[in-house]
This record gives sequence, structure tokens and C-alpha cells, in this order.
Amino acid sequence: MGYWRFVLRRLLQSAPTFALITVLIFLLVRLLPGDPASAMLGDRATDEAVARINASLGTDLPIASQFLRFLGRLLSGDLGQSQALHVPVTELIGERMPVTLLLAAYAMVLATLISIPLAFLMALYRDRPLDIALRGAFQLGLSMPTFYLGLLFLTVLGAHLRIFPVGGLGRGPVGILYHLFLPALTLALGLAAVITRSLRAAILEVLQADYIDFARAKGLSERVVLGRHVLRNALISTVTLFGINLGQLIGGAVITETVFSLPGVGRLLIDAIFGRDYPVIEGLTMCFAVLVSIIFIVTDLFQAWLDPRVYR
Amino acid sequence: MARWQLTISATLLLALGCSGNADAAPVRGGQMIYARAWDSLYLDPVLNDANVDIWVLSNLYDTLLEPSADGKSVTPGLATAYELSPDRLTMALALRPGIRFADGTPVLASDVKFSLDRARDPKAGQWNFMLAAIDNVTAAAPDRVEIRLKHPDPTLPAALATFNTGIMPERAFMAEPGATLDDKAESFARHPIGAGPFRLAEWHRNLSMVLERNPYYWAPGEDGKPLPYLDTLRFEIVPDDATRILKLQGGEVDGAEFIPLARAAELAGDPDLQMRLFPASEVTYLTFMTRPTLKDGKPNPLTDPRVRQALNYALDKDAFIHVVHFGNGKPMTSFMPSTTPLAVAEAPLYPFDPARAKMLLAEAGFAKGFDLSVMIRAGSAEDIAVASVAQQMWGEVGVRLSLEQLDNATMTARYRAGDFQIRTGTWTNDIADPSEITAYFAYSPNIESQHSGFKDPVIDADFEASQKETDPDKRAALYREIQTRFDEAAPIAFLFESPYAVALRKPVTGFDQIPLGNNIFAATYIGD
Amino acid sequence: MTVDTVDRRPNRLQPPLIFGTAILTLMLITALLPQFVAPYDPTRFDYHATLAPPSLAHLFGTDMYGRDILSRILWATRIDLQIAVFSTVGPVIVGTLIGTLVGYYGGFADIVLNRLVDVVVTFPFLVLVIGIIAILGPGLTNLYIAIGLVDWVFFARLARAEILVQRRLDYAHAARGLGYGPARIIFRHLLPNAIGPIITYWMTDMALAILLGSSLGYLGLGAQPPLAEWGALIADGKNFMATAWWITVFPGIAIVVAGFGFSLAGDGVADLLRRRE
Repeated sequence: MGYWRFVLRRLLQSAPTFALITVLIFLLVRLLPGDPASAMLGDRATDEAVARINASLGTDLPIASQFLRFLGRLLSGDLGQSQALHVPVTELIGERMPVTLLLAAYAMVLATLISIPLAFLMALYRDRPLDIALRGAFQLGLSMPTFYLGLLFLTVLGAHLRIFPVGGLGRGPVGILYHLFLPALTLALGLAAVITRSLRAAILEVLQADYIDFARAKGLSERVVLGRHVLRNALISTVTLFGINLGQLIGGAVITETVFSLPGVGRLLIDAIFGRDYPVIEGLTMCFAVLVSIIFIVTDLFQAWLDPRVYR
Repeated sequence: MARWQLTISATLLLALGCSGNADAAPVRGGQMIYARAWDSLYLDPVLNDANVDIWVLSNLYDTLLEPSADGKSVTPGLATAYELSPDRLTMALALRPGIRFADGTPVLASDVKFSLDRARDPKAGQWNFMLAAIDNVTAAAPDRVEIRLKHPDPTLPAALATFNTGIMPERAFMAEPGATLDDKAESFARHPIGAGPFRLAEWHRNLSMVLERNPYYWAPGEDGKPLPYLDTLRFEIVPDDATRILKLQGGEVDGAEFIPLARAAELAGDPDLQMRLFPASEVTYLTFMTRPTLKDGKPNPLTDPRVRQALNYALDKDAFIHVVHFGNGKPMTSFMPSTTPLAVAEAPLYPFDPARAKMLLAEAGFAKGFDLSVMIRAGSAEDIAVASVAQQMWGEVGVRLSLEQLDNATMTARYRAGDFQIRTGTWTNDIADPSEITAYFAYSPNIESQHSGFKDPVIDADFEASQKETDPDKRAALYREIQTRFDEAAPIAFLFESPYAVALRKPVTGFDQIPLGNNIFAATYIGD
Repeated sequence: MTVDTVDRRPNRLQPPLIFGTAILTLMLITALLPQFVAPYDPTRFDYHATLAPPSLAHLFGTDMYGRDILSRILWATRIDLQIAVFSTVGPVIVGTLIGTLVGYYGGFADIVLNRLVDVVVTFPFLVLVIGIIAILGPGLTNLYIAIGLVDWVFFARLARAEILVQRRLDYAHAARGLGYGPARIIFRHLLPNAIGPIITYWMTDMALAILLGSSLGYLGLGAQPPLAEWGALIADGKNFMATAWWITVFPGIAIVVAGFGFSLAGDGVADLLRRRE
């Protein structure tokens, strides 16, 4: 069956991607100016102290032998130990990744809930006051820097009105959803703005296509036309957008995590880059690669399912 | 013969009383939540590298002696007294009777020997230089330790009050998995046991750290019962300055560190809060590269002391303090923070005098000015402010400064390679002694005077002599000469000293941050 | 519910397009000639007027160095417009071309592009950008390079998806049936029909580039001080949101207005193209 062969092929295609990413990240990290020991020890360290730490980390070896060590470790499933935190990288990722994933998923759900109904409204009332007002509102959300929007939410809804907590991670499913609402909303608004805009354009385009006229002419009710034909086709472009925005969503999570003091991987990554914590950068990058690949595959599969022409 | 019998009560009460509410009796129990800007990285006294560890370690690990509240001397800690032999080559310390670690096991002389031997191992960490004079440590009796020195060392008492000599339980440490001491330390530091006022209960990295009362802690409170007053101390990690303040204002935390000085006035006016500015050992300055040529081979104008002096005269320190720290700070009086023992703190250096700056530049052959560049830490509001103000003020005397923002690791790498002209710098002392800052700033054999290439044989000789000089007056004279010569040669631009800014909710009493930066929660309580 | 979206009005300029173009034109003029619009030197310090609220002398107030916010915002237009255009124009051309060709021909090229897209997209964006900037050094040109190296992928992916849909439609079959060559089919028939979403996304992307430039400016890796840049201006005022709101609010409005201009223009162009069919 075509669909399952497509799935299998898609999975096989990911292998070279990983190989390439692994090599790339290994090299990029070592091309960065500065060495882990100086970054760890700071300005005061003596040359001997720096040399000693670099020797114990193995970062003074030729790059080829470092790569062999790295591969050997990787193949045995070991991502190494954080140089700055003295904790295994797998443990760090295990602690932090769920926070970021939950935040991203939460933001996506909120973004979908916001954008699909509004995009329909806007398309149906195109260029009328409602459409123009909503576009203005979204533009506002899109144009505000994340940290500014986050701080605004925190100040107004958190500190002053005390409806939501000021940052942090709650306890229990309800507590966590409650604590994560503002950060997720902060992330979702930017995403919703992008998606609503494209969705609106896609709906308009579909509404003008001949097959919709045909469907109408067949006497199908507006509800069926909108629900079956328009939504389905509009979803294709939305799913694509979700896929390509996810990387950015995780990137945007860095600043959101800082503003809302959430212990996610975004902050871990930034700290690791600035601290030249090689194993953490490598581990996280590869972890991201796996994740984003999975999401791409799911996106592609979903797209293929919505529009079978893609895999034929 | 030098013999100091230190008594607890006077000095300790002095230390604790400075922020206390003298009338009300302390309230026992309860939890305090303190918002920190960064989480700790490595709770090992010997192998840590950063202030995020150093400043909280004393709550977990106690030392033989403790820094006094003003940062200039020491008070008793796990040792009640120390005694120096007439030749000043042996120090004997008497351990306090009945002291225990947080797991209930007694603190023995063997634990002290183990801890000091590990701390002074030249291969362990980057703090062992402070104990370099020690020849050997012996456990003379279960409650008596003897330290023999290679040469007399005036810094030893201060070193024994510094975080890296925190006493650790040998047996518990050695029971950790791992082949080497470093491996064991990695494991031990995740659930450390010391003899400090608190012990670690929970640690969720970059989210929160919970310390609970150590029931075996020795120091008594004002009510005669042992400290600490708090049952639990909870650190929440809130890296964003604005969010940290919002949490405090929203009542979600009881205190917050690293308050931007821009907001100090606003918070001081909040009726629910107390804005505290603790005297610090923090100086902000610019390091000049003083070698004759730059890394790319071009001649370096900063090699001429007159140019460096001119650049110092061209800076209006009061304007700096006004713009960068909103009036909270004071001009530097020496390269050392004025809270450092033996610091010369008489008058601000290089008072603002643009005419003199122009004259000196003309003398040096730079009447038309020249181009300079400064490395600053990317994204640091304070570095940008310092460099922007310097850019503007030097522009007035014809010196054109360009700014280069670099991430920390890149900046450190270029600094170490001497590949820079000017860089921003901030220093805080870790030890209550002038030797640490002098070794980095002025004594060239260590790190070439902050990698500036500055070298003064008289300063180098004075410093070496001072490290063995146990006569306080002679040592003070050596340090006076070091400071005079350094300040005159001006291998740095002397900017300002600043306080530690902490905001607390009104009922919080007895919290202290000493000039070395240590956060002292032992006598903290939440009043009514 | 009535549906009246099948707009077959004759081809004429719509209000969004006029309004959007007007905003962009004003921005362009400001960016080209800030010295004639700005009342003060944007880098001049005035220690006697630090953190001054908006007044007649300083319409938008001053920052902590006493610099005039209005003048800084006007000068920043030049930097931000540069970021919007220079960091996206390469990606939109290269990305659309590659995506179109791959979407049309498919086969091995499609596989290669998809793997390449996967690599670029799965690589955390900030690692790449910070890495590139750390290696090349901070500054605007390197910022364009860093953004451009990543950004083309989004256009390639979008163009590919659009072409995949378009080439299955009846008119494409018809064109092939008429014996037209691939170049003609792609550039005369498929691309014009697929370009709407791409242009819409480009306009959004320019607004996003300004935001990204701002975030990097916030991390210190974008425009270097004392150059004014909207995001950096907001970052400057972050600690003063409670006491001196004007430092952050006015540059924020500038970003919003610019974003609005791009989006209105984008929608307008998309509408125009759709009606031309």
C-alpha cells in the first residue's frame, strides 16, 4: 500500500540527516573561539589550571581522536558528562526536555484553538471591520518582542491582578498547566499570528477555486463545503507551517523560559553555548534533531493523509 | 609569641547584630524563599569555579575560622582558637568540643586533615594557591590539628576562613562511588554533607534548591538555642531581573538578589519591602593592554603611562556612578576594594580633569587623539553602559573608542591570549586578604597582571616579601608601596566600587551578605 | 451565513495595499534621510536630562544617558529596514527557486533538498546563528549571513509544497498537453500561481527578521552600540519598564507599525496576484 511505503521511505531518509548533523555539530562546536577550560574557569585562571582541565576533558587532543572518542561514546549510548554541571547529559536532558516539550505542545494547542476559528471569520468577513480589527490585533501580537509580551503578561496578570503566578513550574497536572498558561500563551500568540494569516489566505484561495463552486453547484450546504473542502485544504498549508515553525518555537522558548524562569532546554542550550560545554551542546543538538525529524515525519505523513497526491 | 584567644560571643553578636532587629526576640521556624539569579553549579568547596557556588557554600560547609562581618578579619568557626609557634611555622588549632556534621557524625581532626590536604593539592581545582605555604597537616589529637608551613604565611588565618577550606566528612566522602577523589567529589556534591547551618534537602537544577535546618549546628542564637532560626531555606532560580522583582512584589518570594541598581530607588519606596545595599568588595574597571605592540603588530598607544593616566583623568567618575549605577557607588581609591584589609582608601584616584588629560596626551604625542577598541560582554547592560559612557567621555579629549561585544568564552580566550586593547572588568574578593587581588592585578608572574603585560619589578619583589611578612606594620608598608606604584602606572582605568543590592520583604530580619559576597542565612528569620 | 468571498471585482488598488505601501514608503524615506527628520544627534549624551519623560523638548522622552528617544527611533529605522531586507532577499530568491525546481522535477533532487532542509531546520537555529557570529565576529553583515544561511529553507519548503499542489491542477496538465517546455510551465504558469503564499510569507518574514535582529541585539550579537536598533532600544529600557515606560513603549510601537506595514503590503500584493489570475 502506497501510504505505508511512503512512511517507511520517509523513516529511512532520516538516517543520513542524523549522520550529517552529528558531524556538523561536532565540528561547529570546536570551531567556536575559546576552549571549555577557560570558559569554565573564567578570567582568573592560570595557564596551568586551564591546561590541566583541558587535559582531563580530552579537549587538548587532535580533533580526529576527539571525534573517535565522541563516536565511541555515542555508539554506546553515552552522551557524556556536562563539564560545567558535573552531571550526565542524558540526565540533564531527561529533566529539562519535558518542560520545553510541554510548553511547545501547549503553545501549539493554544495557537490552533485561536487561529482556526478566527481565520475562518476573517476570511468570511474579508476587508470588513472585523477582519481589519483582528488583523491589527494579530499584527500587534506578532510584532511584540517575546520578552516584552511576557513581561507585560507577568506584570499585569501576575503581579498586579494576581490571576496567574509569576513564573516558575507548578506541581501536579493542574498546577503545571496553570503555571505554564502565560508562557504558552506568550509563545502561542506569535505562532497564531503567522498561522492565522496563512490560513486566511489559504481559505480565500480555496473558496475561489473552481471545485468549491462545483461543490456549491452540486447543492452541498455551506457547512459541508466549508467543513469538508475548505478546512481540509486549508489544513494542508497549516500543517506545513506548524512543521517549519516548530524549530523557531523551540528557539523562541529560550527567551520565554528565561522570562518565566522555567527550567527548560532552551536555557540549558544557551548556557552551554556560552560556557562551551561541548557534551551538552552536542547532546542537545542531536536530541533536537531527533525530535524535529519526528515532527517533520509526522507532518509529512499527515499532509500525505490529507492530500494523497503528495506520496503518489 | 603570638597568641589570640578568640571568644565567640562578642564578635559573633557583632556579626549577626548588624542587620538584626535588636528589640524583638527572633522567631524560630518557618520557611524563607530567596530568589537567586543563577543556580549553583558544583557544591564542592575545592573544585567549584564560580561565585554562584562560593556565595552559598558557607551555608552548607563550615570552616575552621570565619570571615568577620566587615570582611577584614576572622572569627572562630569549627576551631575555637589557634596558636602560632614562635618561629611562625606551625599553627595549632583546637576544635570546638562536640561539633558534628549534618549527618550526626562527629567532626574529627582527621576530617580536617583530609579536607585541607584535598584543598591544597596543586592538581585540584583553582583555589589551592591560597594554601600553597602549607607543608603538612597532622591530626595531633581527635580535637587538635597542627599545620606546618614551608615559610611564615600571614594569609593563613584568612585562608582557613575561606570557602575552599570547608570541612568535609572523610568517611562519607570516601564512601562515594568513583575511582579518583575528583570522581567521588562529583557524586558527593550532589548530596553534600558539611557542618554548616543547613543541609541540602532537594535540588532541582535551575529551578529550586531547598536547604533544611542542620540540627547539629553549633553556633547559638540570641535565645541561647542553636542556630539557624529557619526550618527551611528555599532558593528559587529566577534569571530575569524584572521577573525576580515581580515575584518579590507579588509576595511569592521573601527576598531577591542582584537587584539592578536602576530599580533600587523604586523598591526603597515600596512600603512592603526593604532595599538593602550591602558594602561589597566589588570594583568595576577597564583593563588596559600595556604591551608595546598589539597582537596584529600595530604600535599600542597604551604602552605609554602618560596616555593611560590621561585616559583616567578624562573619565568623570561621578557621572559614571550616576549613569551606570544611579548614584549607588563611590569612586575607586586604590585598585583594591576599600573593604580589603590593608587597602589604601584615602582619596579618589585621578579626579576628573579633561584639561590635564589633553595636556598629557599632547606630551605623549597624541594631541590629535587615536583609535581604541574595548571588548565587552555581549548582552551585559552594565558593560554596555560603562563602555558607552567611556566612549563619550574619551571622545571629548579626541580618543575614539569602538565597542566590540563578545560572548564570554570568546572574550576570555582573547583576553588570555593578550589579543585586546581594553576590556571591561569586575572583581570581588574571595578571601579577606589583599594577596588574592594583588596576585591577579599587579604581580606579573601569575597571569601577567591580568594579561595586560604590565610588569613592575618593585611590585613583584614587594609582593613576594609580603607573602612571608608576618609583622602587620611591615606588611602594610609593603602593600602601601604596591598600591602607590600601581595606581601611578595606571594599567587600568579606575572606575567605581559598588554595593550588593538585595531586596527583602519587610519582616525578614538578620540576613547578611558580607563584602566577600557570602550569603549568611544562619541568623535569618521572618519576623512578625 | 452568507458567503461573499468570491470577489471578482476588477483589478484595482485595495486600501490595505495603499496603506501598507504608504507606511513602507515613509519608513524608506526616514531610513534614507534620518538626519533631516530627527531633532537630535541620536548618540549625544545629556547628563542633565537623563530618563526625562516625554515633553516638548523630547517628544518621546530620553533614556538613561539623556539621549533623545525619538531621534534614536528614527535613526534605527535605517538599521532595521536593512535587517528586514538584506537578510531575507537572498533567501526568498534562492529558496523559492530551489523549492520550485524541486517541487516540479521531484526525484533525486527532492530527496537531497529534503535532507538538506531537515539538516538546516533540525539544527537549533540559535546554535547556528551564535556559532556563525562567534566565528565571524558580531556585526550587521555577519547577522545577514547567519540569518540567510537558515532562512532560505523555509521558502524552499513552502515553494515546494505549493508547486506540488499546483502541478496537479488541471491547467498544468493542460499546459503540458499543449507541449509547453518546463521553463515556460514553471515560470509562466506554476510560479505565478504559487507565489501568493510565498510573498505573504516573505512580508511576515521581514517583520520576523526585525524581531530576530532585535533578539540578537538583545543578546548583544546584532547591531553594535551606539548604533540605534529598535530591539536594542527595548532591551536598553527593560529595567525601566516600571519607572520610565517611554524607553520601551515607543520603539515597541515602531516595530508594530513596521510589521503592520509589511503585512498590509503582503496581503495587498497577494490579493492583487490572486485577482490577476
